[in-house]
Amino acid sequence: MTAELDEDALVPLRVTVNGRAQALACGGGETLLTLLRERLGLTGAKRGCNQGLCGACTVLLDGQPVRACLTVAATCADRRVETAEGLLRGARLSPVQQALVDGGAVQCGFCTPGMTMALTALLRAEPRPDAARVREALSGHLCRCTGYVKIVEAALAAAEAQAQKGADGAAAGDADARAEGAAP
Amino acid sequence: MSADGDAPTSVGLSSPRIDGAEKAGGKAKYADDLSAPDMLYGAIATSPIPAGRILGYDLSEARAVPGVVAVLTAEDLPQRRVGSFVKDETTLARGRVRYVGEPVAAVAAETREAAELAAQLVLVDYEETPAVCSLDEALAADAPRVHPEQADYARQGDAAAEGNVFWSAEIVEGDPDAAWAECDVVVEEVYETPAQYHAYMEPCSALVEPDLGGRFTVRSAAQSIFYLQGRISEELDLPMARIRCVAPRIGGGFGGKNGVNVQPIAVALARVAERPVKITLSRSQDIEMLRSRHPARIRMKTGAKADGTLVAREAELWFDAGAYVDESPAVMSFGLLCSRGPYRCPNVRVRGHAVYTNKLKAGSFRGFGNPQATFASESQLDALARRLGLDGLALRRRNAMAPGDHWLGGQRVDACAMRECLDALEARMAAEVPALPPPEEGWARGVGVSGLSHISGLMGTSAAVNLRSDGTVALSTGVVDIGQGSDTVLPQICAEALRLPPEAVAYAAQDTDSSPYNWKTAASRITYTAGRAVMQATVEMRQRILEHAAELLECGVGDLELAPGGAVRIAGSDRSVSFREVAARAFNRIGGPIMGQHAFAFDGPRFDPKRAAMSNFAFDNLGVYVFGAVGLVADVDRETGKIVVQKVWSAHDIGRAVNPQSAEGQVQGAVVQGLGYALLEELIWEDGRLANPSFMDYKIPDGLDAPAAITPILVEDAPEETGPFGAKGVGEAGIVGVAPALANAVADAVGVRLTRIPMTSERVLDAIEGRASEAPASRTA
Amino acid sequence: MDHAMRFAEPDSIEEVLSLLAADPEARCLAGGATLVAMMNAGLTAPSLLVSLRKLPGLASIDPQADGAVRVGAMARHATVAAHDGFAGAQAILAAAARRIGHPAIRTMGTIGGSISHADPSADYPTAITAADAVVEIAGPEGARAVPADEFFVDWLETALAPGEIVTGVVVPPDATDAAVHYEKFTRADGDFATVAAAACVALAEDGAVAALRVAAGGVAPTPIRRREAEAALIGRPLTEDGLAALGAALADLSDPIDDMRGSADYRRRLLPRIVGRAVRRAAAAFTARSGARSGTGPQAGGVA
Ligand SMILES: Cc1cc2nc3c(=O)[nH]c(=O)nc-3n(C[C@H](O)[C@H](O)[C@H](O)COP(=O)(O)OP(=O)(O)OC[C@H]3O[C@@H](n4cnc5c(N)ncnc54)[C@H](O)[C@@H]3O)c2cc1C
Ligand code: FES
Ligand code: FES
Repeated sequence: MTAELDEDALVPLRVTVNGRAQALACGGGETLLTLLRERLGLTGAKRGCNQGLCGACTVLLDGQPVRACLTVAATCADRRVETAEGLLRGARLSPVQQALVDGGAVQCGFCTPGMTMALTALLRAEPRPDAARVREALSGHLCRCTGYVKIVEAALAAAEAQAQKGADGAAAGDADARAEGAAP
Repeated sequence: MSADGDAPTSVGLSSPRIDGAEKAGGKAKYADDLSAPDMLYGAIATSPIPAGRILGYDLSEARAVPGVVAVLTAEDLPQRRVGSFVKDETTLARGRVRYVGEPVAAVAAETREAAELAAQLVLVDYEETPAVCSLDEALAADAPRVHPEQADYARQGDAAAEGNVFWSAEIVEGDPDAAWAECDVVVEEVYETPAQYHAYMEPCSALVEPDLGGRFTVRSAAQSIFYLQGRISEELDLPMARIRCVAPRIGGGFGGKNGVNVQPIAVALARVAERPVKITLSRSQDIEMLRSRHPARIRMKTGAKADGTLVAREAELWFDAGAYVDESPAVMSFGLLCSRGPYRCPNVRVRGHAVYTNKLKAGSFRGFGNPQATFASESQLDALARRLGLDGLALRRRNAMAPGDHWLGGQRVDACAMRECLDALEARMAAEVPALPPPEEGWARGVGVSGLSHISGLMGTSAAVNLRSDGTVALSTGVVDIGQGSDTVLPQICAEALRLPPEAVAYAAQDTDSSPYNWKTAASRITYTAGRAVMQATVEMRQRILEHAAELLECGVGDLELAPGGAVRIAGSDRSVSFREVAARAFNRIGGPIMGQHAFAFDGPRFDPKRAAMSNFAFDNLGVYVFGAVGLVADVDRETGKIVVQKVWSAHDIGRAVNPQSAEGQVQGAVVQGLGYALLEELIWEDGRLANPSFMDYKIPDGLDAPAAITPILVEDAPEETGPFGAKGVGEAGIVGVAPALANAVADAVGVRLTRIPMTSERVLDAIEGRASEAPASRTA
Repeated sequence: MDHAMRFAEPDSIEEVLSLLAADPEARCLAGGATLVAMMNAGLTAPSLLVSLRKLPGLASIDPQADGAVRVGAMARHATVAAHDGFAGAQAILAAAARRIGHPAIRTMGTIGGSISHADPSADYPTAITAADAVVEIAGPEGARAVPADEFFVDWLETALAPGEIVTGVVVPPDATDAAVHYEKFTRADGDFATVAAAACVALAEDGAVAALRVAAGGVAPTPIRRREAEAALIGRPLTEDGLAALGAALADLSDPIDDMRGSADYRRRLLPRIVGRAVRRAAAAFTARSGARSGTGPQAGGVA
């Protein structure tokens, strides 16, 4: 019944968010989504339903897509969290983000960060997915604006662009290629 | 830019959205992403019963929750009722509640948890009264009245209000009573369509910041900053000068954020708390509290000659409006206007009724009454074609409107590519349907088509442009981009009129303090209506640019032309001045930038009383009709009733595609929203309470439910003379014909016609197996 | 209310059990996909969350000496879906896991959480019932094992006593080397089942049914099976009549509800059809796998 701040119940939490180690404290039942949005000001992950049903809050936890709204923040101790903001290199979009913009796959944009994270995980694991794999990876991500067609096309374009870059002789490893490779 | 003389610099290019990067990068700020120092969280207590009197409140427990700063009920707010057509609404329920989910009290507290807890602890003493939760119940002879005090409300006209029917309207052309005798075949049927939830991905949210001067800045999920400002002013008795509305990014609207949602409540809380207040609805509250598409029942009758020529159409429409009038007269009237569809038919009588029920409000939603009417009309045309042994497309082509024909109501239509759309659709389908892989064993395949139409012009808007000292352009309108892309498309129109690339035009964020007026982002009106204002404002500025350039080049204005990339030259020569030089001169001469502005209210051809008798029609004028046709291939599982849509083609008479990629995206999104409407989506009430207010129970299509192939066909054969570069709107039309096309495909596949949507697997199986459906449904049928 | 909720993430079972024993309002937390959704909806507010994430050995899938496979309670759906160490009927767990929700739900949710929640429309309860799996339980009174059949007691109710937790699911070896199929009928992608059926089928050389196990979900408060009806099909070729009899037997036992996924009547009608599909497809998979086409194809691959 009491809603007053109970400092005793705060859980210390060390977590790496977008590459930066953070020492925080969170409520025992606080979700990762609340932690990101309200404690860290990272509002890229959106709260579309708070029930795991829309995908807008999807982030990567140790590289795997999870619903931040259903993830108890305290279970993220000593783990890595990545959000849409973390894919940026300065003001430069990641290849997936850029492909979504270029492909007309962003309308209202509310679903976009979640879609971005799911696609990022997919392309890291499977650099050349086909359209069916892309749809499978995006299943459970609701978009009310686009009808999904351009999102799938953009994902395939991102894969293609990444493969081109690989073929063009970027010798660096996968992750590095992603980070460095987009230099114009 | 190349020196190429006539190549477009901007219009017709698929420029990426200007807000795309910040959205994809997770940096775009939607209302709930914002906060303010010292901010309180608001929460709303809602009615748990569909109908009842409020006898009293006990707020002591709510106030006792630690951290609670303010608790408000209707008793703390100005005693006034508001509404555009009928003044029947209050900010918080006063005296009576009329639906489960209706706001009754509001709380502001230091934490969201405290606010939510306190909202739950608001104790209201209700005396429950009988409720009407379906059309049948509301229309029964001795039905309890949703608004017993209805006669006292201020309203526009009397609109034949009777009982729970608060607005009836009619359009008559020709002599339908006599015409039935001329028909070789007549079909008649009753159609039912559901309450569809908008399901924009961003739940409604508002952040209100008061300042020490008694002014409130409102950043919220809304489709119009000006409508919102006016409405808050009216509800809370605050002068507009004390309300500033600013548009953050909006996570979709589809009409659902057209009216106000939580903003007046948030302002009321901020006013008493004297601190910023943010209210963000949970998904369930958003569903239960706000609006849906009108559930409708439509009785329709159509007669034709043996060759398929339409002779007569009669329809009666009942729109279930929920507990408050809101925009229902307009939605229902527009449904009437669309009840003949884009076809010639000389004898028509359509009558519509908007009805109060004890459910959440029905309001505007992509298509605005048209999807309901078109579901009936296009299903019926197909049934007619079958009866006559004619091909569905051929029947539509035989009756399709052509330039110079009149819309129902008598407006003459000059730009009309209906036939071209039917032809384009037929050609694509003829080539691509046979190439589809065959259906799985046990599944039956069907092909269905539907014509479609919509409008793209109404109400007023304005735009302002000025030339900055570096020769680039600043454009400003009051149009809120709810995801449909106006932030990209309107600058494209401006840029093209100046032969600039799109990036040379900076577009201002919308703010009631500085933006020129716009009505709403609604009714597909932005590309045409706002685009036209942008065009005219830009043309005005262009004229001044030419005048300055003529003085600089010492020639006549008539000798000049624009060169691509921001310059004016003497035609046929290489003598030119850049916009930068022109701008510099203007700053010296007139002490500021060259400007252009334009405001107009929609001014197209009017309804023609000589052709049609119209009574209680809720619009003065609207128009710029758009046409189209949609076709699809669907497979039906005979054993389970499941429908899988394999491919969709959607042809649109768009006039001119300002940004083809953006137009395609609008069409594809609308098609999937239409498939949701046709297949899955229905708000269901049980005992006056919504039974499925979550995405767990209310399903919308995800990427695996949606067809992989949705092919937009943009037909640019009939540019609209008055539109910017010939453009008309496309935002809504894409949804209009989807449900009937699917019903037609199902009839084609399994030989039974469903007259009720959504066509859930269960209803389809019931139809295939000839059973009366027990599928879950509200008590409406 | 969040702030008042406490959190613990012990690294021994003993500690978990003592925390749960000390506080009846405490709940254990696995993937959170169900529990946190309920907390967010205001349906539950435990005083203490006891995370099982750090418990040793709970997340792995381990072969046992006798050919059984032990799936740890904290094994994620995605891990089970991708596991290739299942043999015969055991593989029904992977087939069901692949159909749970969406990718992110499968990276979060666990088998222990799913079966402990015991939603009859969920996928694992039906699958482990078909596989004759045994649920391993640890509690204040010690460890015990309960067959799946007895584990699911009623709608959202299991044989777990207060303070007990699931530690794993042991899937027995399948001497018949059956092929499996999990057939799930939903309104929309990723939804819980309207009706689902898990089938494990082995055929003899002559095409006769050698082994058959079928469980159905979404049609009663718990998953249902009719062993005697399964037995009646053994030793004969698979026929439509046989499948209909099995479907009818299951329908007799069913007790479906009306909800947003469909009416009870619709579920009753779907049940035999979904069961038929599951069995036919499992049989077809068996045939395809064994390559034993001659003679058995028509009966097994696609029942006339
Ligand atoms: C969007 C969405 C879609 C879904 N779709 C499906 C679907 O299609 N099919 C399907 O089957 N499921 C579906 N689920 C449910 C999902 O599989 C959950 O993961 C699962 O039901 C619960 O597992 P969990 O590990 O997340 O458990 P939690 O949510 O952590 O816990 C669930 C309950 O079990 C208790 N519990 C957890 N572990 C144990 C244990 N070892 N011993 C005793 N008690 C325990 C908890 O205290 C809690 O009461 C869906 C969930 C979501 C959010
Ligand atoms: S907010 Fe997490 S899935 Fe919708
Ligand atoms: S772009 Fe609006 S929800 Fe996807």
